[in-house]
Amino acid sequence: MPLSKSPGDGTPRRPVLPVSARKIKDNAADWHNLMMKWERLNNNGFTTANKIVNMKISEQFQDNKMEIACDNNATGSEKPAPKYNEELDNCCEELLETLKHMTKIQLKMEKLTSTAKAICDLEAFHHRAGNCPAPFFHTWPTPYFYEVSLKLSEMYRKELQLKQTIVQEIAHSADQDLMMVYLSSWLYQPYIENSSKLLLEAMLLETGHRQC
Amino acid sequence: MAPAAALSAMAAALEACSAAVARQAAAWRQALAGCSPPLDSLAGLAAQMRAAERLPWGSSPLAAFGDLPERLWRKQRGAAEALLEQLGSRRAELRAVRDAVGAAVASALRLYEERAAELGLEAALRRGPRCPSLADALEGLQDVERHYRHLYLEIQLFLLRISCDSLADMETLPQAWGKMLERYKEDVVEDTLLKISLFVDNHQELCSSEGS
Repeated sequence: MPLSKSPGDGTPRRPVLPVSARKIKDNAADWHNLMMKWERLNNNGFTTANKIVNMKISEQFQDNKMEIACDNNATGSEKPAPKYNEELDNCCEELLETLKHMTKIQLKMEKLTSTAKAICDLEAFHHRAGNCPAPFFHTWPTPYFYEVSLKLSEMYRKELQLKQTIVQEIAHSADQDLMMVYLSSWLYQPYIENSSKLLLEAMLLETGHRQC
Repeated sequence: MAPAAALSAMAAALEACSAAVARQAAAWRQALAGCSPPLDSLAGLAAQMRAAERLPWGSSPLAAFGDLPERLWRKQRGAAEALLEQLGSRRAELRAVRDAVGAAVASALRLYEERAAELGLEAALRRGPRCPSLADALEGLQDVERHYRHLYLEIQLFLLRISCDSLADMETLPQAWGKMLERYKEDVVEDTLLKISLFVDNHQELCSSEGS
């Protein structure tokens, strides 16, 4: 279920949050919603990529059969021209579209990170005299929100790079091991570490979106 | 007539035991069916892990992602562990069935031991043209108890032996599972339930004819 950005509710100590705190809380909700959307797109993309690989494998099987038939007929050196596969083309389009949506999400994640950085800079400017500001919520100092955002953002950036390579190559590969590695890499998202869920949940807990 | 009272008590106990065994047999089948999807997934995962092992990463389009093989392997391993956990839950369900059947059979046998002197050997061994003896029914129950106990041991051993270190074995898990189950047909359970139902029906007929 998507988290709503309701300002000021559910925070334990302050009934009305300062603007920066409200922004951090909204960012946490955005992180949750974007990560959920990413997961959905990842599943859709996997289904499409799987179809592409299955089509490639059956295409190879057909080609092998035809080659054997040509060899048996011994009619000459002419090889049949590769057939245009409309279904494969459609699937590739679909996968590209999914990647486009994922790219948009990753851009939004970058923006959330730069917002967190700006909030940190603003706080540093206000407290340049040296006194340490009190945490907005429970225990997290403001720079920690930026650190978490940056970590998450980096994971998704690298994962997107990997997915871009997979989308470029998946329909052009003939090696079954490589195709299987593409599929496995798409599904298990090696650059999104297991700690990402923990970081997100910790952020939601700190900002009051989740109750202890 | 003391033997008649004892026979009635045994018939009632067998009926209750038979109902318990039928309930547990359904739970057993459900738990067994629940093992197949994670075993299929483990086999698929093993195929993916072997493909990753065979792939010449350096000359593939994924060469730029130097840490990808290790990251992917870690994620795949995590997925395998999650599947093994699922299998562990199914194993606990199977153990519960084994224990419940053992308890039900033990209670029927205990009652027989208590009333054995009263019943006499002749009544326990008396068969009709269409009706098994009390001894036949009790023997059947012992076979059922042994069936679940032995099969549970085999399943436990089978599941404990699954390891990501032998991917070739992991790939053939569904076939090995099917072969193991083939050796343990559930006929013994069906046969025993039928025997008990014949015994109970016959006893009720005798009681009503004696009463009229």
